[in-house]
Amino acid sequence: MTFKKLKQAAPHLVLLPYILIVLYPLWFVILASMKNNTEIFNDPWGLPAALSLQNYRDALTNSYIGHYFANSLFIGVTATLSTLFLSMTIAYAVTRMRFPVLSKAVYGLLLISLLIPPASLLIPLYTLVKDLGMYNTPMALIFPYISFGIPLTVFVLAAFLKSIPNELEEAGVMDGLSTFGILGRIIMPLTQPTLVTVFILNFINNWNEFVMANLFLSNEKLRTLPVAIVAFADKFNMNYGAMTAAIAISIIPVIIIFAILQKQIIEGVTAGSVKG
Amino acid sequence: MAPYILARESWWITHMKNIQRNYWAYVIFVVPALLIYVTFYLYPLFQSLQYSLTKWNGINDPVFVGLSNFAKAISDEQFWVSFKNNIYFVLFSVFIQVPFIVFISIIVSSAKRFLNFYKLTVFLPCILSTASIGVIWQFIYSPDAGLLNQLLTAVGLESWKRIWLGDEATAFLSILLTNGWQWTGFYIVLVLAAIFAIPKEMLEAGEMDGATGWRKAWLLTIPLIRPVIMVTLLLSITGAMKALDIILIMTKGGPFGSSEVMASYMYKQAYTINDFGYANAIAVIVSLFTAVLSLIFQYINVKTREASE
Repeated sequence: MTFKKLKQAAPHLVLLPYILIVLYPLWFVILASMKNNTEIFNDPWGLPAALSLQNYRDALTNSYIGHYFANSLFIGVTATLSTLFLSMTIAYAVTRMRFPVLSKAVYGLLLISLLIPPASLLIPLYTLVKDLGMYNTPMALIFPYISFGIPLTVFVLAAFLKSIPNELEEAGVMDGLSTFGILGRIIMPLTQPTLVTVFILNFINNWNEFVMANLFLSNEKLRTLPVAIVAFADKFNMNYGAMTAAIAISIIPVIIIFAILQKQIIEGVTAGSVKG
Repeated sequence: MAPYILARESWWITHMKNIQRNYWAYVIFVVPALLIYVTFYLYPLFQSLQYSLTKWNGINDPVFVGLSNFAKAISDEQFWVSFKNNIYFVLFSVFIQVPFIVFISIIVSSAKRFLNFYKLTVFLPCILSTASIGVIWQFIYSPDAGLLNQLLTAVGLESWKRIWLGDEATAFLSILLTNGWQWTGFYIVLVLAAIFAIPKEMLEAGEMDGATGWRKAWLLTIPLIRPVIMVTLLLSITGAMKALDIILIMTKGGPFGSSEVMASYMYKQAYTINDFGYANAIAVIVSLFTAVLSLIFQYINVKTREASE
């Protein structure tokens, strides 16, 4: 009996250290964000002496964090919705319309992207964005984000669209729908769950992107959150309280959203790897 | 009756065909998306190839210099340091991270309780931005207030303390561990899904034949989840080649270039040194090297699959 109990507990005992390694750093940051510098040095492990939100006040008043949040949201949502719309039409054309040769060529072009690490496009993209007069505008990120999102989104959507039976479209034709009507009234509603998945996949990628956001926007007011966090950390690199408060501000909303939408988020983030 | 039905039938088929072979609709559906993709993906790729053959400071007109940028890379010691770091990154992922992922996944799958809790917790780091994670770990590695050094003090290992990100011996390893912390959970969730997709009957049959515990994992589970392990390996290899943001955030390649990878070295050549020709040549090398690695991997994948069958 006790042996059996031990056997049941064994996996948990092995997992405990790993779970601690994952969670403790986050907890440590949140603790530190409520302490002042002397406390962080002298009593790193304990709870803060008083529940003080002074660091948060400093972090919020010393920066345009509301701006950055709005910038990230605007760029993330615009790029993601455009990616979804453009990918949906392409995936529909490639899988449901009858142009086999053309469609193979389109698919082939998109497959090239699987071979190329995005970082190696950084410098020519930077030049291009400057030449097009997009440098230092939200467009400098929106267009590259759309183009980086399209291939994977098309692959995921196409995999789903292939599974829709032809009869549904025939019924649509019978009801007098045009090609556009079939896409809008029959295919889109059926694809909704997959669209949610690819929305999450793209939005998280765009929301978290750092390198291009750091390089293509130099105006401080246009910054996105990831760039702002890194800049903030550089600026306050000895003021651990304010720095950890800024980190906490950036991660707590994400953790809360994850707690609410866990299932969809896990599905969304892993979708790309399974199909790709 | 019959001719009427036939006529209707053929009208119907042509009509359906017209709808599915509507040229204009096809053009409207495909062209805008393709235009953006070609402009912001394929065109830069092409430009990168072009600029890699030039001497260019980013401002004046580029001057064609043939392959001399590639020759420069071969004789550039700093480039080889970054190349070696990419190799270490790949080896670390393949031989340390992936086995760890499979091990943890099998353990999680054997837990009867808290399954969802484990899944959520391990997944959490990979939805945080690399920027936040980089900054969090900078704080953990920081010389005096950092978690790691405080921990070493607390357990009496003061002599192990060091400036983790400022020491040539530990900077890159510290980044690898942070990267591992960020992505391990993502792969665990992938592998777990594959383990749970194994038909129950198969495992039960195996148990009847006496395969239990680690024998079962080794003889049954691991061979059955081979495809997802291969996906995990491929993604970690390409992931190791892609890494750039975490390096820029945590060390900027320092100290003395010891934590530079090819992508970050390219970044430095372009934006610190203004040698855009050389930087593009490095970009081309990164792409080629990634493609070669993926092909070698595919080759090994096919060969070992044939062998195991």
